[in-house]
Amino acid sequence: MKKSEFIEELADTLEIEDAETLQEETDLTELEEYDSMARVALIALVDEHFGKELTPQNFKAITTVGSLINIIGEEQFD
Amino acid sequence: MGSTVKNISYYLPEEVVDNRSLEQEFTEWSAEKVEKKVGIRERHVVGEGETALDLALKSAELILRDYDKSRIDFILLCTQSPEYYLPSGACILQNRLGLSTGIGALDFNLGCSGYIYGLALSKSLISSGIASRILLVNAETYTSHIHPKDRGNRTIFGDGAAATIIEASDEEDIGEFVLGTDGSGYKNLIVPNGGMRSKYDPEAKEADDGSGSIRTANNLYMNGPEIFNFTIRTVPGLVLDILEKNQLSLDEIDRVICHQANKYMLNYLRKKMKIPEEKFYINLLKTGNTVSATIPIAIRDCLDVGIVKPGDKVLLAGFGVGYSWGGTVLRIE
Repeated sequence: MKKSEFIEELADTLEIEDAETLQEETDLTELEEYDSMARVALIALVDEHFGKELTPQNFKAITTVGSLINIIGEEQFD
Repeated sequence: MGSTVKNISYYLPEEVVDNRSLEQEFTEWSAEKVEKKVGIRERHVVGEGETALDLALKSAELILRDYDKSRIDFILLCTQSPEYYLPSGACILQNRLGLSTGIGALDFNLGCSGYIYGLALSKSLISSGIASRILLVNAETYTSHIHPKDRGNRTIFGDGAAATIIEASDEEDIGEFVLGTDGSGYKNLIVPNGGMRSKYDPEAKEADDGSGSIRTANNLYMNGPEIFNFTIRTVPGLVLDILEKNQLSLDEIDRVICHQANKYMLNYLRKKMKIPEEKFYINLLKTGNTVSATIPIAIRDCLDVGIVKPGDKVLLAGFGVGYSWGGTVLRIE
C-alpha cells in the first residue's frame, strides 16, 4: 500500500469531509473527528491492512498522520 | 443425561431513550451518524426506583406463564447490577416467584459472557443430577451505572432481562463449551467505586474523557478502543475453537449469534472471520447492548421471525467485561 492510498483510506475512516486536507503533517489529535469511535475505526483499519494492534501506548504516541505511519512501520508501505 | 433449552422470554423496561432525545441532550451529536455506525436507534432504560431484579422478575413471570413453576428446581441469576451486596438476588426471586423452597439458587457476576456461562452451569447441574429444570435469568441495568453526561456509554447500553428454562432431556442439545478468562484487562470495563476496594464517593469529581463524555469514578467506564483490541485478539480464535470442540464446520452452522456489543464491532469481526453475512445475526436497533441479556434476546427474536427454526444449529459467542469469554453450539428444539 502506498502512503497516499493509506492517507486516503484514513480520511475515509475518520469521515473527514474534505479528504485533501489530511496530510502527513496533520495533527490527528486536533481534529474534531478523532473521537473514541474514530479510534476504534482506526484500530480496524490498521488491523485489516497491517495485522498490527494499536496499543494504548501507541495511541499516546500518535499525533500527526506521519507519527501513525511511523508506528505502523515505514517498511510496510511501498 | 442431556439438556435442552426449553423456552426463552425477555422483558424490556417501558422507558425508551431514542437517538432524537439524546441528540437534544448532546450538541454536536448526530443521531443518524450514530445509528449508521453502532446500529442502535433506541434503548430501553429503567425508570426511577426500577432495578435489575424487577426486570428479572418480569421476564421470569413471562416464561412461567406457560410452565408449571413447581417443577423448577434451580435458579441461576446473572447480573452486575445486584439489588444488594447480600443476600443473593436469586433467593429473593425464589420467594417472589412463589417457587418451591426445596431448590438451589445462586447469583453469578458476569457481563457479556454471562449467558454462555449460564448455559454451561445449567448443563453441568443437569448432567451431574443436581438439578433437572433450571430457570436462568440474565438481568442487567448498566444504565444505572452510567453518568447522565456520558454520551458514549449512554448511546451503547440499554437495560433488559431474559429468562431461559433449561431442562433435562434424552438428547443433548447444548454442545461443548469453550471458556476463557484474562483478568489483565479488568480495568478497561469497570465501575471503579462502590465495592470494598474503593467505596462509593459522593464527592467524586466529574472528568471529561476527551471524547465529549463526562463521568466520575462511581460510574461505568469503558475503554472502547482497548475492548475492541481484545475482541479482535480473542473472538476469531474463540469461534474456531467452538467449531473444533463441537466437530463442526462453519458450513454446518445455521446461524452465528454473538454478544450484541455494537454493529460496527460485530461487522468487523464478521468480515475478519469470513462468516457469510446471511449467517450472522446483528440486531441492536431497538435494545442497544443489554450485556448478558443480548444473546437470549437475539435467540428469541430469531425464533419469533423464523430466522432460526427447530433443528437448527446456532453458534453462540459471548465476550467482554472481565475479560471473560465463552461459546457453545445450541441445537434448537
